[in-house]
Amino acid sequence: MSTAPSPHLAVATPERVALSLPVAGIGYRCLAWLVDASLLFFFWVVAYFVFTLLVSDVLGVFQGLSSLGQTLLVVGVFATQWLYWTLGEVFFHGQTPGKRALGIRVVRLDGSPVGLYESAVRNLCRAVDFLPGVYAVGCISLLLTPRHQRLGDVLAGTVLVREERIDLDKYTQPAPQATSGAAPSTTRALKPDEVELVLAFLTRAPGLAPDVRRNMGARMVEKVGGLTDEERDAVLASSESIEAHLRGLVRTER
Amino acid sequence: MALALTTFVSQKREGWKSLEGLLERQRAGTLTLEELRTLDTLYRRAASDLALAQTFYPDTDAHRFLNQLCARAYAAIYQPPRERWAAVRGFFRRDFPRTLRRELGFVGTSAALFCLGLLLGALVVLWEPRGAELLVPAGVRQYVAQGRMWTDDILSVAPPNSVSSGIATNNLTVTILTFAMGIFAGLGTMFILVNNGVQIGAITALCIREGMTVGFLDFIAAHGPVELSIIVIAGGAGLMVGQALVDPGELPRSQALALRGREAVKLVLGCAPFLACIGVVEGYVSPGDLFPTWAKAALGLTLGGLFWAYLLRAGRADADTTEAPEVSAS
Repeated sequence: MSTAPSPHLAVATPERVALSLPVAGIGYRCLAWLVDASLLFFFWVVAYFVFTLLVSDVLGVFQGLSSLGQTLLVVGVFATQWLYWTLGEVFFHGQTPGKRALGIRVVRLDGSPVGLYESAVRNLCRAVDFLPGVYAVGCISLLLTPRHQRLGDVLAGTVLVREERIDLDKYTQPAPQATSGAAPSTTRALKPDEVELVLAFLTRAPGLAPDVRRNMGARMVEKVGGLTDEERDAVLASSESIEAHLRGLVRTER
Repeated sequence: MALALTTFVSQKREGWKSLEGLLERQRAGTLTLEELRTLDTLYRRAASDLALAQTFYPDTDAHRFLNQLCARAYAAIYQPPRERWAAVRGFFRRDFPRTLRRELGFVGTSAALFCLGLLLGALVVLWEPRGAELLVPAGVRQYVAQGRMWTDDILSVAPPNSVSSGIATNNLTVTILTFAMGIFAGLGTMFILVNNGVQIGAITALCIREGMTVGFLDFIAAHGPVELSIIVIAGGAGLMVGQALVDPGELPRSQALALRGREAVKLVLGCAPFLACIGVVEGYVSPGDLFPTWAKAALGLTLGGLFWAYLLRAGRADADTTEAPEVSAS
């Protein structure tokens, strides 16, 4: 329902249809990173306690493990710094757990899923994007590039796209039968943007304050028009009848 | 005359729903061949619905929904080939050495930059000893002043395992940074290469001045050749990226970057296993005097020789048979 122009990734499929996917901005990316970072953090807290338990065991059974443990520790740092991201993106359809939680995914510039090389490039560049701390370079690059790419994305030719949760139920909700008698005589077919506007109002109406709900409904009826005076008076009697009328309107053709 | 928006949605919705369901199953990997065919049909149908929505119902939620649905199906249908073990083997047997030979110019330039740094650092310290105060880290200078190798102490404090893995991650960070800094038009890579060269040159010269030549050689002989080669190769990859930025040729910059980036990262990924092996050598063999100096030197030269022999020879025999697809891919 957003009206502000947001950046899109245009993709031409072999079926000769142009897809346009919304690009994820800095907010989504930061939040997704925070989710991933806290996951890794909790992993390390748990790993640290397990490790401490092993090393400080009273019987000394695990003493021999300590040097091996340290190796594992360093290898683990490596794994969480580099492997976590790449494996996530390659094997889980361009999504690390954080990206999945936020509903964003990494795709190539032509909309196809990322492969090993692209993912490796963009994640190796994390080191540079992180400079000089907390992704400063990456954030500047995000703000400057038209598709909100950090340097790693530019180099790998990847972009993060957003998945919106769109509810189609509002289009197919049955119209109330009670008002069919008061159906207006001279209706015209609504234009798609009018349908969209009316449906948006109907979806949100239950959450509005009563008088606002009534006023907005009335304005909606005026805008859509096509009523004689007495019909309009009947429709405008209560907010229920207004909404029933509107719902009937968007459902005229079956 | 197009259908009303609501009618359009309620008529087509069943098909979209089953396409969504199939995509969900496809993700889980439990599709039969028959269902796969249905998926294809439904995708084509949804694509034509999308074309319709673009024309008659632009900027509605139905349009947005179809966009997304088609994108998911598109991603599922046009997937890149999965990298499997055979692909990994092929990569190390042919792809990696061949890419390196093709980009030998960049690796050569990178090596030249590194040697330039090496010479500069060494000359400065040999010519003017106080230059060492500027170029060599304070910790290292202290050890050298006491006539000891700084690496002896790391070993006596920490178990060799962790020294080895610590060195491995350090080398890894340097290698990755050397490559990734190429995104600053190659200047970052040049800086790291020259900077590393200067430091190593300065330390070498300092050790020579303080009469510790043997001790220094003793430490770097075993792992030096391969490790420095790897950093030089990563530098070459970084320069490739820089070149794509400065001189993208006929392609738009972003596309040239993506194309060269894919090639460059092959060099870095190819070096990774060798980096791990050399980290082990650096952690276990190089420090201390478990092995005599001549053995370390022999090992270092052998490893270096083998590494470069592999890089320059591997996959050369069957070059003719697979030349055609490679040209079309790059």
